[in-house]
Amino acid sequence: MRNEIRELRGRNGLSQAQLGEAMGVSRQTIIAIETERYTPSLPLAMALARYFELPVEEVFHADGTA
Amino acid sequence: MLMEPRSLYRSRWFMPVFSSILGLLILGAFVAADDLGTGIAGLGMMVAVGFVFLIGGRRSETLAGLGGPGRDERWEMIDTRATAFAGTVLIAALIACWLWDIAGGGDGSPYGQLMAITGFAYIAGIALLRWRG
Repeated sequence: MRNEIRELRGRNGLSQAQLGEAMGVSRQTIIAIETERYTPSLPLAMALARYFELPVEEVFHADGTA
Repeated sequence: MLMEPRSLYRSRWFMPVFSSILGLLILGAFVAADDLGTGIAGLGMMVAVGFVFLIGGRRSETLAGLGGPGRDERWEMIDTRATAFAGTVLIAALIACWLWDIAGGGDGSPYGQLMAITGFAYIAGIALLRWRG
């Protein structure tokens, strides 16, 4: 699933490890989400969106568009 | 209600302790069969496996995930799929062994019984998981 995690993380000056720690997941899981190899669960997707103070549909794009 | 991502933390000592307990059970089984040497070798092997996970988990995501501390929801998905894959391979092997035994004049034991257990476990699992939602 296309998402804005890499851009949002960069904009907030966070490392993958820091974001992973904040979300309670591994750095590798953040990498897998950013590279679209893994679609997070709904609770994790919502937690990520809430962390960046954005609606979930602005962070994750189910239709594959920006 | 907003849910928090599930925490799946497991201590890095889980795998060393688990494999050591398994090693002790192996030792017990071989001692019961009057074969202390093989039992000690089995225990040593299982303790070594545990420490491979403990030490290797610091460098390898695969070992960390298998061993415990690296587990999160992605690892849970990987674990579920890997278990399903291993189960499929096991079922295929059981069917092949069962047919091979029957073709050789045997009665298919114990492969037939193991297939029956697998089948019942699958149906029970489906029923339980469906009931849980």
